Amino acid sequence: MTADTTDEKPSYEEAREELIEVVRRLETGGTTLEDSLALWERGEALATTCQEWLDNARARLDAVVEKDVSSAE
Amino acid sequence: MALDTSPEQPAPVRQIANAISGWIDRLGSVWVEGQVAQLSKRPGLNTVFLTLRDSVADISVPVTCSRTLVDSMNPPLVEGASVLVHAKPSYYATRGSLSLQAREIRMVGLGELLAQLERRRQLLAAEGLFDAARKRPPPFLPGTVGLVTAPRSAAERDVLDISRRRWPAVQFSVAHATMQGHRSAGEVMAALARLDADTAVDVIVIARGGGSVEDLLPFSDEGLLRAVSAARTPVVSAIGHEPDQPLLDLVADVRAATPTDAAKLVVPDVAAEAHAVASARERLRSITYSFLAREQAGLDALRSRPALADPRTLVDERTAELAALLARARRTVGHSLDRAVDDIGHHRARARALSPLATLERGYAVLQASNGTVLTSVDDASAGDRVSVRVADGRVHADVTAISRADQSTERPAGRPDGQEATDDR
Repeated sequence: MTADTTDEKPSYEEAREELIEVVRRLETGGTTLEDSLALWERGEALATTCQEWLDNARARLDAVVEKDVSSAE
Repeated sequence: MALDTSPEQPAPVRQIANAISGWIDRLGSVWVEGQVAQLSKRPGLNTVFLTLRDSVADISVPVTCSRTLVDSMNPPLVEGASVLVHAKPSYYATRGSLSLQAREIRMVGLGELLAQLERRRQLLAAEGLFDAARKRPPPFLPGTVGLVTAPRSAAERDVLDISRRRWPAVQFSVAHATMQGHRSAGEVMAALARLDADTAVDVIVIARGGGSVEDLLPFSDEGLLRAVSAARTPVVSAIGHEPDQPLLDLVADVRAATPTDAAKLVVPDVAAEAHAVASARERLRSITYSFLAREQAGLDALRSRPALADPRTLVDERTAELAALLARARRTVGHSLDRAVDDIGHHRARARALSPLATLERGYAVLQASNGTVLTSVDDASAGDRVSVRVADGRVHADVTAISRADQSTERPAGRPDGQEATDDR
């Protein structure tokens, strides 16, 4: 099981899909200890990526809304 | 010529009908002027039924004439046309109905006028001036609205007021022209040309209040129609009321029933538009926010799964597994050792049981030749042989001095080498 650590940042959907796959494999077990640890680390990285995407999107949205609200005052 | 009848001597219907018919015939054929109120040409029927209405009084009379007569008329007979009819009144005894039987119909005045318009309409239609393809839609939000109308007219006021109410910032360029009489067509064309030349003007409205067919005649003027058709800017025709249909309506890019409708057509209700835009923006944001919330919830769920949230479970499981394996290993080893010990003990006992040691300990000894073979009979040995005697705790080395055969009957032979107690007496 070689985690395909794509160098450029995966898209949100790709990261999310792979994260779901990682969790599924960890839960079904049957992987070696070494692989499990690798899978877990990969999971953590993917989760962080997804969170960054979401935070970024929210920030962009809030920025527009705040600007709109502030200009409305 | 009164008919003397009485309750005692009533006259039959046929007699009355004949009498009426006779009186009516005495009128003879006449020239009648009136307006065609109704005209019904049913296919396949060679008589045409029409109603002739008095141009002033509200009186009308049914007229029948032959189909060929009506069809041969050019311009064709249309409803509303004023006509001169040469007809003879006739009474149909069977149905008891009266109608004028027309032998000749001539157009006159308005009828002639309408006929002319009809001819022009057909001519221009044939030329393709009214084709839908030539029609250009006015812009949704016009820069400047050109308006051709009579100065200080109701139409002008309607268009301006309503447009401004819908969009306060609307720009107007009004070109006044008389909208009545023979000079009207020319002036409207001049005004149209002026507005058309102005590039700021994005749409031109030609507006006029209601009027009779004659009043609206200028708006069927061929020159005006061709000018409108050739105009670069889209033209909205707003002449008269809903039923009025001057030819301008057909050639214009858009036909508005009244000046008010023209205003509504040309100027969008900006307040409504602004509201629509604002609500669209609102929906946009709420949808995006809810999308983000959903994705965040999904991610949180994933992260809270034990496999990710608490990786120690992985290691713990392995250590527990390890401990279990270790314990099992030890247990199995322990068991096999025990078994081995038992086994050894068992074998030792067996060996001991089998080994002659116990016998030796009871005083017996085993005589072996120098080569180690066990001597069981005197025949195997001879004087001078070197022998060894295996006693319980070791060996005695000796030389054979003499051989003497044991008495068969009195002496029991020495113990058997296999350590088996000789139970069988010889």
